[in-house]
Amino acid sequence: MPVMERTGRKSAPATEPWPENAALYQQLKEEQILLSDNASSLAVQAFLQMCNLPVRVVCRANAEYMSPSGKVPFIHVGNQVVSELGPIVQFVKAKGHSLSDGLDEVQKAEMKAYMELVNNMLLTAELYLQWCDDVTVEEITHPRYGSPYPWPLNRILSYQKQWEVRRKMKAIGWAGKTLEQVLEDVDQCCQALSQRLGTQPYFFNKQPTELDALVFGHLFTILTTQLTTDELSEKVKNYSNLTAFCRRIEQQYFEGHDKDSSTTVAARSAKRSLLR
Amino acid sequence: MAAPMELSCWGGDWGLPSLHPESLTVMAYAKFSGAPLTVNTINNSWRAPKGDVPVLISEDIVISQPAKILNFLRKQKYNADYELSAKQGADTLAYIALLEEKLLPALLHTFWVEAENYCSVTKPWFASRIAFPLSLYLPGRMSREALNRILLTRGGPPLYSLTEVEAQIYRDAKECLNLLSKRLGTSQFFFGDTPTTLDAFVFGFLAPIYKVCFPRVQLQEHLKQLPNLCRFCDDILTCYFRLTVLGFAYFNEIKTQAIYDYLRAVLQRTCMLHMGRGRSNAAAV
Repeated sequence: MPVMERTGRKSAPATEPWPENAALYQQLKEEQILLSDNASSLAVQAFLQMCNLPVRVVCRANAEYMSPSGKVPFIHVGNQVVSELGPIVQFVKAKGHSLSDGLDEVQKAEMKAYMELVNNMLLTAELYLQWCDDVTVEEITHPRYGSPYPWPLNRILSYQKQWEVRRKMKAIGWAGKTLEQVLEDVDQCCQALSQRLGTQPYFFNKQPTELDALVFGHLFTILTTQLTTDELSEKVKNYSNLTAFCRRIEQQYFEGHDKDSSTTVAARSAKRSLLR
Repeated sequence: MAAPMELSCWGGDWGLPSLHPESLTVMAYAKFSGAPLTVNTINNSWRAPKGDVPVLISEDIVISQPAKILNFLRKQKYNADYELSAKQGADTLAYIALLEEKLLPALLHTFWVEAENYCSVTKPWFASRIAFPLSLYLPGRMSREALNRILLTRGGPPLYSLTEVEAQIYRDAKECLNLLSKRLGTSQFFFGDTPTTLDAFVFGFLAPIYKVCFPRVQLQEHLKQLPNLCRFCDDILTCYFRLTVLGFAYFNEIKTQAIYDYLRAVLQRTCMLHMGRGRSNAAAV
């Protein structure tokens, strides 16, 4: 019997039920938020909707600094603050809600592997595009990232973040890649997701899991965010089952709700609607 | 006939053809797909490899990362994955991403960052295979790069000290090993009875953990509690790599035996000639 170790952080006490005033914090959605952060935030929102846990989205310019791990989004539930999808899934599980309980061990392993694939390839490609592609950096990222702050703080903050992201890209070997190679990686990742999804409604057939939330977050954001070129969204559009998947989740979990959440989803920094 | 292909990579020890995970992945894939690679292990000579190791050189083409090398081999019709379905191909990518995210940091830490391991095993081994005076500098640089990678990818808040980061990466690595063990179950390879790209990558990452004798071995101890993964590594070593070692030894033995037989025959003939002459002399006398 293999030794199973408890992974992740200490989980929150499971005694308190989910409060009504749970809040999810992200950056300002019209002016400030970037592609990768938007994707992560949407993934968490989708996950919480799938678990039927109400949460309101609060936009703050300094969300990144408020977060315990420096990354958005983070949720404020009762007196706990948890950031990023992985720890949030574990936190929600400790409260008794879980989407992946019905999976057997091999399926759980597969789910974790595919989540790592999305993080490894899609998220890194988004970060590359935002921070290492000079055209996008000049036209979109620098103006947006520091927009709530006065000059020169806005430029300093965005240069600092760019330096950090480029260091990380160099450490993992992505600094030497060209944009074409990165887009090819995105294509390969989408192809893998498309082949895994096949004709099923969700990745593990009948019920959505956190993998569906994560994939939805990233793909929907890529499809609806206007960048300097359309190449990234074209790569995703090549796979019709993925666009159908995004549309299905949007309709099921976001449009059926009250006006606030639907405008949250639909009013991106994006100018295009998915249902075009 | 395809152009001859040469692979330049780190050599092996402790029963492994190579200690370097990426070199081992490429060598395993070449064996699985039947690609005729000439393997040159890096040694003390001044012929430094042209890029990051492993490097594949075929005529004028130089390719350096494992994923790209494998793509090149597939284009040359050495494909170990042709029997896989589309979904299995997708699973391969996903599991490789899992290995790189969860297992690689702990592997790098065990080899290059853990002080006792680095000073007593890794540094002397690599230094002995690099020409002087680069042997004084290169292992240190590789160690700093490994630490840098670990800290940049896993070291953000709320983990503020190296010990917390280390604890987290080892937890993740052990979880990853458990997941791989569950996925492998009782079958011989990850996708049935023939080895594929995923088997090459898993073997490349697991075999160094399994075989190399370090002073600090918490990952190895965890791996030894997962018997199907140990059996997986041993099977690949015996079926695909030991043959060359055994074959060489056997050939040596045959050669020695043949020489011995020849010498004996020569000796016998010489004696008989002498005895014959003696007899004829005696007869003559």
